[in-house]
Amino acid sequence: MRGQILLLAPVCAVLLGLLVFPVLILVDESFREFTPGFIGARPHAAYTLENYAALLDPAYRFYFIETFWLGLLTSCLALVCAYPIAYRIARSPIAFERRALVMLLVVMIFLGTLVRVYAVLLALGPAGFGSAIVAILDTTLNGIFYTELTVIAGLLHFTIPIAALALLGSIQSINPRLSDAAQALGANRTISFVTVTLPLSAPGLLSAFMLCYTFCISAFVVPMILGKGRVQFASNLIYSRFGEVGNYPGGSAISVVMLVLSIGLLYLITRFINRWMTSL
Amino acid sequence: MRSRPRVALWIDNASQTSAMALLVLVCAFLVIPLLIIAIMSFDARTYLGRFPPPNFTFQWYLRLFSSDYFLKGFKYSVLIALAATLVSTAIGVSAALAISRSSRAAREMMTSIFLSPLVVPGVVVGVALLLFYSELGIGSRLLRLVGAHVLITFPYALRTALASISAIPRSMSEAAHNLGANDRQTFMTITLPLARTGIAAGAIFAFAFSFDDVAVSLFLSDADTYTLPVALINIMYANLDLTIAAAAMLQVIFVIAITFVLDKLVGVEEVVGPHLN
Repeated sequence: MRGQILLLAPVCAVLLGLLVFPVLILVDESFREFTPGFIGARPHAAYTLENYAALLDPAYRFYFIETFWLGLLTSCLALVCAYPIAYRIARSPIAFERRALVMLLVVMIFLGTLVRVYAVLLALGPAGFGSAIVAILDTTLNGIFYTELTVIAGLLHFTIPIAALALLGSIQSINPRLSDAAQALGANRTISFVTVTLPLSAPGLLSAFMLCYTFCISAFVVPMILGKGRVQFASNLIYSRFGEVGNYPGGSAISVVMLVLSIGLLYLITRFINRWMTSL
Repeated sequence: MRSRPRVALWIDNASQTSAMALLVLVCAFLVIPLLIIAIMSFDARTYLGRFPPPNFTFQWYLRLFSSDYFLKGFKYSVLIALAATLVSTAIGVSAALAISRSSRAAREMMTSIFLSPLVVPGVVVGVALLLFYSELGIGSRLLRLVGAHVLITFPYALRTALASISAIPRSMSEAAHNLGANDRQTFMTITLPLARTGIAAGAIFAFAFSFDDVAVSLFLSDADTYTLPVALINIMYANLDLTIAAAAMLQVIFVIAITFVLDKLVGVEEVVGPHLN
């Protein structure tokens, strides 16, 4: 027992010292009065609710809605795009094809954030295919619509490999004989997929969705570079509060709201999923 | 009546074909942007022109290696990632040992508590640590960054170590105990050799995530001490040229090489397996 405590001491120290305590300071700062012109709250500034009241402004709500809505849209798209890859890896009879696809996903996961954001920026910008795509969609390069599209493409570039790898395990664990049986009993490939394989991969789909959604709602670099200031997520708002305006109390309040919303949302989704799974 | 199976067959073929088409499209979407920067990084024009480039040179690579700003960021990134990986792996392995010996209920609770840094958005970690460090008066930027990177990387080390330690049959360490080995000897001769692959994979993940972090590092860097991604973002904002494409290409080559080495050493499936489940 004493050994257990000794083994757990370092991880507890890091968690308390570098996460719990700093977050408590963050919460404290978010209730402090902000004096414009200063960087951060002045020492022993009075407590106030003003920083939170300011968030009720519709302009702020927009950032949060953008974050959670585009995140939801992207996560669903990522599942649709990732499923064929994962399925192919799990079921392809050609060993080379399986290995090549796994390698592709692993390389993607390990590639740096900035490399991929820059690649999407260049490919979808005016130097790449941007002008051609804009002409087809009948919109402009600097419009909100195309910027949102670029941000979604950027997020997808990250979430598709994550989702595919998460789905892979659960598809591999489905016995292929089940769909063989369905086909022997007269179902075609599509019907046996929809009625057998797809429902059995539900747990994998849900965990893949969770991974994608956590990635999207805390996304920072993707909207920062690809959003060009026109599409901004809550993370970017926090950064500009701290970095550009020096309004630490205001930025802290947004951080606390974001933390509560994202953890609360994930908790609700997990609970909903668990209940739904047990009711099946 | 006769046309029914035919319609069903048509729908079946159509949906199989469209699934295949989607697969090809998605792979193209993932790979083509990287091919574009690969080709553009050799562009001979001195400005950022349209793809494809008319002529090719190494000018952007030369410019990259003559940039002190870039090289310094690279040096700090390697330093910070190595330090963070070392600490994170030690913390992760010791916690994984304790968790693997616990009861099922305690194990589930501990795992979700210790993996909680993964669900806190990076920017929130960044601002919280910024406030915390200035409250505490920790001046050293390097120390600030290493602390932050330990916090964001140890869950990866813990998760992979736990997966591989849990996979060792309990009877093995019990046998060692019965034969008179103490805890330390059991760990060194039984657990560590058997869990080696998982621990190494966890360390690689920790290194990769530390090396790649932007959100947290951006808050804790200053003009003198910064990581490579922070340097790249600043270069990206400062000028729209192709030095970033050159830097990106070098990383792509490095990552592909690492992936092949990992594949030869442990098999690529080994690397992806424990990380995600």
